[in-house]
Amino acid sequence: MMPVSIETVTPRFRAAMKHAFLFALAALFLAPLVFAPAATAQQASDPQHKVQIDFNRWHDYDELKVDLLRLEKAYPEFLTYSTLGKSYGGRDIMLMTVNNPKTGDEMDKAAMYIEANVHGNEIQGAEVSLYTVWYLMENYGKIDMITRLVDERVFYIVPTVNPDGRQYFFEDTGSGARTGHVPVDSDNDGLYDEDGPDDLNGNGVFDTIRKFVPGEGTHRISHDDRRMLEPVPAGEKGDWVILGREGIDNDGDGRVNEDGPGGYDPNRNWASDWQPNYIQGGAMDYPFQLPTARAVNDFLVSHPNIAGVQSYHNSGGMILRGPGAEWQGRYPREDIQLYDTLGENGERMLPYYDYIVIWSGLYTVHGGFIDWTNDGLGIVSFSNELWAGGQYYNSPDLKAQQADPDSPIAGQRGSYFFDDFLEFGDQYVEWESFEHPQYGTVEMGGWKKMRGRVPPRFMNEELSHRNMAFSLYQADEMPLMKMGATRVEKVGGDVYRVRVDVENTKLTPTITARAAENQVVDPDLLTLAGRNVEVISAGWVQSKHMPGATDLIDQHDLSRILVRNGHPGHTTRTVEYLVRGSGEVTIGYSSKKGGSASTQVRLR
Amino acid sequence: MFTRLTFLLVLLVLPNTVSAQTLEGYHTYDALTRQVNALVAGHPGLATAESIGTTLEGREVWLVTIGNRQGTPLKERPAVLVAANLEGNQLVGSELSLEAIRYLLESYATDADVKARLDESAFYFIPRVNPDGAERAFARVQTGSPFNASDYDDDNDARMNEDGPEDLNGDGLITVMRVPDPKGDYMIDPDESRLMKKADASEGEAGTHTIYWEGRDSDGDGFYNDDGDGGVDINRNFQHEYPYYEAGAGIHMASERESRAVLDFVIANRNVAVMLVYGASDNLVTAPNDKGELSPAKGLDLWSFADASVAGARDVGVFQTQTRGFGRFGGFGQQGNQGGGGGRGGGTRPATTVDRGDLAYFKAVSDGYKETTGLEGVPPIRKPEGALFQYGYYQYGVPAFSTPGWAPTVAADTSASEGGRDAPGAAAPAAAAPGRGAGGRGAGGASASADAALLKWMDANDIDGFAEWSSYDHPELGAVEIGGFKPYQAVNPPASMIAELGPKQGGFVAHLATLFADVQIAEAEVISEGGGIFRIKAEIENAGFLPTSTAQGVRSRSVRPTMVQLDIEPEALLSGSAKTSFLQATDGSGRRQSFEWIIQGTRGESVELRVVSQKGGSDTRTLRLQ
Repeated sequence: MMPVSIETVTPRFRAAMKHAFLFALAALFLAPLVFAPAATAQQASDPQHKVQIDFNRWHDYDELKVDLLRLEKAYPEFLTYSTLGKSYGGRDIMLMTVNNPKTGDEMDKAAMYIEANVHGNEIQGAEVSLYTVWYLMENYGKIDMITRLVDERVFYIVPTVNPDGRQYFFEDTGSGARTGHVPVDSDNDGLYDEDGPDDLNGNGVFDTIRKFVPGEGTHRISHDDRRMLEPVPAGEKGDWVILGREGIDNDGDGRVNEDGPGGYDPNRNWASDWQPNYIQGGAMDYPFQLPTARAVNDFLVSHPNIAGVQSYHNSGGMILRGPGAEWQGRYPREDIQLYDTLGENGERMLPYYDYIVIWSGLYTVHGGFIDWTNDGLGIVSFSNELWAGGQYYNSPDLKAQQADPDSPIAGQRGSYFFDDFLEFGDQYVEWESFEHPQYGTVEMGGWKKMRGRVPPRFMNEELSHRNMAFSLYQADEMPLMKMGATRVEKVGGDVYRVRVDVENTKLTPTITARAAENQVVDPDLLTLAGRNVEVISAGWVQSKHMPGATDLIDQHDLSRILVRNGHPGHTTRTVEYLVRGSGEVTIGYSSKKGGSASTQVRLR
Repeated sequence: MFTRLTFLLVLLVLPNTVSAQTLEGYHTYDALTRQVNALVAGHPGLATAESIGTTLEGREVWLVTIGNRQGTPLKERPAVLVAANLEGNQLVGSELSLEAIRYLLESYATDADVKARLDESAFYFIPRVNPDGAERAFARVQTGSPFNASDYDDDNDARMNEDGPEDLNGDGLITVMRVPDPKGDYMIDPDESRLMKKADASEGEAGTHTIYWEGRDSDGDGFYNDDGDGGVDINRNFQHEYPYYEAGAGIHMASERESRAVLDFVIANRNVAVMLVYGASDNLVTAPNDKGELSPAKGLDLWSFADASVAGARDVGVFQTQTRGFGRFGGFGQQGNQGGGGGRGGGTRPATTVDRGDLAYFKAVSDGYKETTGLEGVPPIRKPEGALFQYGYYQYGVPAFSTPGWAPTVAADTSASEGGRDAPGAAAPAAAAPGRGAGGRGAGGASASADAALLKWMDANDIDGFAEWSSYDHPELGAVEIGGFKPYQAVNPPASMIAELGPKQGGFVAHLATLFADVQIAEAEVISEGGGIFRIKAEIENAGFLPTSTAQGVRSRSVRPTMVQLDIEPEALLSGSAKTSFLQATDGSGRRQSFEWIIQGTRGESVELRVVSQKGGSDTRTLRLQ
């Protein structure tokens, strides 16, 4: 299908020119529009962007929405902004759908679902999501592969699954706000979220609190850098103790910061291998109890065309796949091979990222999102942990220097060096004395929330582009069904042998092996229809180039054959029918995740 | 006499009840709604009714809350939750719940023990969790389906509900078909020609029949009745030992409106301290064994044979990949990136047996159940995967029980008819089933099939629960016989028995409320140490029977620890116990915990001490510093 371009408009415009009157009108009203592109073409900068968005800064909830709406307004033929529902705090779960309706119905095309920021403090995935929408649109019609992807596929992009958590991170200065904001009584006193951290000194940062306790502490100030606290070696005593995050005993129960906002893990509330709190902390009481998880799941369940999932997290530089727990057992062999191919190519696109299995490479997760999408919804699913600490010093020389204990960038010192010389001290808060109501005289200071889990702002565009590239690669390898060569042979009388090649041109099967085991995806259907046709037999041809047996298909209704385990990736199968009848026959193949295809033959 | 009277009353009270077979006396949704409203209206100040959820077909899931509204707010009292009819076909539980409600309300004025329970505790009844499923019992054709009204593609063929059973012989019942088939797995039971058994090759037996559910192969896939209407069995939709990806269990845990309605209710009302579920599992007649395991499931063979006939429907259409010469993947047996080395897996597994520390309580409650109800057997029961009561114990952390609430037991050896003033035919049956059972299976013994036991009971009590086999000319299968257990009669007793069973269950529900933990400040004293310094000593006691939390409730962190708090400024505490302390669990029957605080204060000032238990009430004491 052709992309929308100037070519499709021009003939109409020419037709209009035949009518002088219309031409005159056109000249009068359209002239400025017609000549406007010529004027911009005189600019020499490259490329020309229709929508300008900064990717070297972080967008809060409102800014994300504004930018998505700007994009929708600029590209209304492809983009639809909608919402999946609301968070506990009443914020929208924003969804951008990228689809070219001219190339077919949305539900008939394989879709890639991209989400981010399920953990409130893992913010940069929203920028990657925004970048992806922006890049696809700005390059449609300019870069062939992007044009093809937008025409062949659908993208569902949810920049933040946890808008409450995101906004809390921006507004309330806190780091570590992984949770969502459904109130939880974390300290069992019958009160909810009544004693969280507080910005006592009003500097916009939840500082770390340390106290000077000569000869009785666990930490000392480093000789290398006076800003650095380090644990004292075993058997020695230091002069400092760390008393946690900035805050006071808000509820007067004698404890500090023991019941902050939320207090659960929004990425443990999913329905595959879900486990109760005592096995999996933060799981809540049952899967999809959280309004955000429920809203996302309702969307996924009602969109069986989704064949790929990416959920962006931070940090550590990982391309994660399931299973999340060892006891879930291995994925079937075919699925592992698929994941390995995608993941290993991802490692080549994402320097400092490792393709790993969650339970063995990271930690055990029960009830995680991508376990549910893989096992429960049959969708090939990855979760990238955006940003790797190794990227602060990303050359072999600097890596070597970091390993040298005498180097100014060795170990923890490297953080201060980077902040001093590349961020000009922006990420560090000097320790200052403070009179604390419970702790007495203490010092507060330390790293700001943006340090560590998110990249330095100037490095975020590269992070966004490389991660998008991996997701576009995954999207391009989603299944795509085509009908190939057909052959009709008259066997005798009105009996014909009909052969049709059925092909999946991409790497991913229409149904993964795990999805087939769990029967969570509708089976593919191989159909044959004709006005005067009766199917005598149907079978798979073992090799179309060699004579030999056909594997007969043992199903009662051969005009509607169930292919329960789907069509493998990069594979052509030849189906052979013996039919009795005459006239036109349509052979079709339909799948939920790889689209549909059909072809016609004539019996004669 | 009593039976006939009940029947007449039922006709008067329930004009909408459909007279389908022998289900007279069971409540339709409309009748149940009226009954609930009537019971509540008759006892103002003691009972209220409200909906906790609406089903797909628009019915309400009713909650009846019982307890004297005077006194401690109900939400702060320990409560019993009674839930029933989660499996749509388990109608008897609804009836027993209604009768238990009636018992509690009507005994309030006359029975001091019951009055005390309603004054001090709360009772939450959800008499019909799955009203859409239950309503199928009153349809023109009875399928016996336990499911709600959600759609589910049982045979995973991308068509919904396209091959359900049909009432071929027009008797209003879906039973089973036995079809002569030399390749069949089953034979007529030589001990009981109405029953079928699996032919045992090692005994030299040959299979002669195949067994199907009654109906046609409507979708022409070679399987008979493999995708009927709906849905989800709500008692398989909860989070403990959930049967993933099995038909009838839903697309995931807690996927259904009905299950979420129950969950959201109990999560919002953590004063629920004991759960009782009427359904197709039992841990009351047979308590968990010493390892904490439940007694094994025992279903009806005839029905499982019919189920087996469609088991293969979900395997059709699995093709070996024809990749020779085309495939990208070679290398069979390649492991790929499996993770492996340095695994950080493992971790704690969820408990699946009753904790040792809780076993004695389960056994005590089981004894109480048998004593109160006189029940000593069970109808066919099944494995409680995803069952509500299992969630109640393993994840919600309270003692939780399940019972069918009745028993098709024939009084063979002992007279089980104690107090059986209304038990229909209770006296006759001992001798009524001679001959059968002598054939090696043992009379009423554990080795008899559930089918034989049930049939024997039906015969003995003159219950019309088995449709005799009759010939039928099947359009696809030829000459077959249709018959077998009637779908509802096999899992529900005649309504005439409810009048006797109900009050006993009501008595048991009241008994459960006598067991609650009961935290109290048993002793508290203030000792002046001079100079504005005071020593406060207190003894916290659990005067109830149950501990303040089960061991599983502690392990699962689902029961909030008992909080002991001295209401002073944190700075006023000089030494001793913390301002706020938490006790994980305190055993009952007078077990105590001691606390001691040394505080700074002003003589004459008052200090409040409070203790709050989630399952065992609360207590406060105002202490004067002097």
